[in-house]
Amino acid sequence: MTTGELIRSARLRAGYSQKELAQRLGMASSSIARWETDTVEPGFSTLRRVLQACGFDIPPVLVAYERDPERDAQVQELQDLSPQARMERYLARLEKPKRS
Amino acid sequence: MSRQPFDPYAILRELENPRTFFVVIGGLARVIQGSDELTEGLDIVPSLSQENLRRLGRALENMNARRVDSRPLDLSDLDPQREPVIELTSNFGQIKIVPEPAGTRGYEDLRVRANRERLGHGVRPSVASPGDLVRMMEALDRQPDPLVLETMRRVLEFERRLTIER
Repeated sequence: MTTGELIRSARLRAGYSQKELAQRLGMASSSIARWETDTVEPGFSTLRRVLQACGFDIPPVLVAYERDPERDAQVQELQDLSPQARMERYLARLEKPKRS
Repeated sequence: MSRQPFDPYAILRELENPRTFFVVIGGLARVIQGSDELTEGLDIVPSLSQENLRRLGRALENMNARRVDSRPLDLSDLDPQREPVIELTSNFGQIKIVPEPAGTRGYEDLRVRANRERLGHGVRPSVASPGDLVRMMEALDRQPDPLVLETMRRVLEFERRLTIER
């Protein structure tokens, strides 16, 4: 999820329009629009202020992050297929248990 | 009504025939976008225009769709607050109508980023974007399947990487 999507998601969950959120923050609604489209990325403290205005927060906690090469390979493999091929593969998997 | 085998192509064909406007969301949308999960049933977000709801109603009738709670199916009065999800059974499997999925503002919000995907068998539905699918999962009241969520985040990452490389 990008920062823009996080802001958008928080705003929508709070039920605010971009204008309403901007009013709560005392800034122009064009700033909200630029953040939400990831045209401009706010700093961390601004991001928290925006989320808090929507009734949410993002705690500054460090967590270990490790890539899962197996999952990456699986996603890559499916991404190499067309949507139609993904659908056919899924239907074949759906059928399998019923036959056995 | 006994549980019918799931035939997503048949459902999509019936929905597309009368030119119903909708976006596919949920498990099947994630599968189409590259998730490896096994899901049954088709979840859709319809346009809430009266004409579209009439078309949707006709399409559902053709599939013999019925509410799972046995109440009469009335699409003229959809209220996402009162009833966020309408669960149906049909001749071709389960269908869920979700007027306003969590974290979104419904059809008009989703359709701008949705893609019409060629799935074969003559169907080409609008499928919610990976970003919106992640957003919906993250906004759910219940905890989403962490493996599916993680996979979808990677699909999103993959999509962004491709966009940047283009």
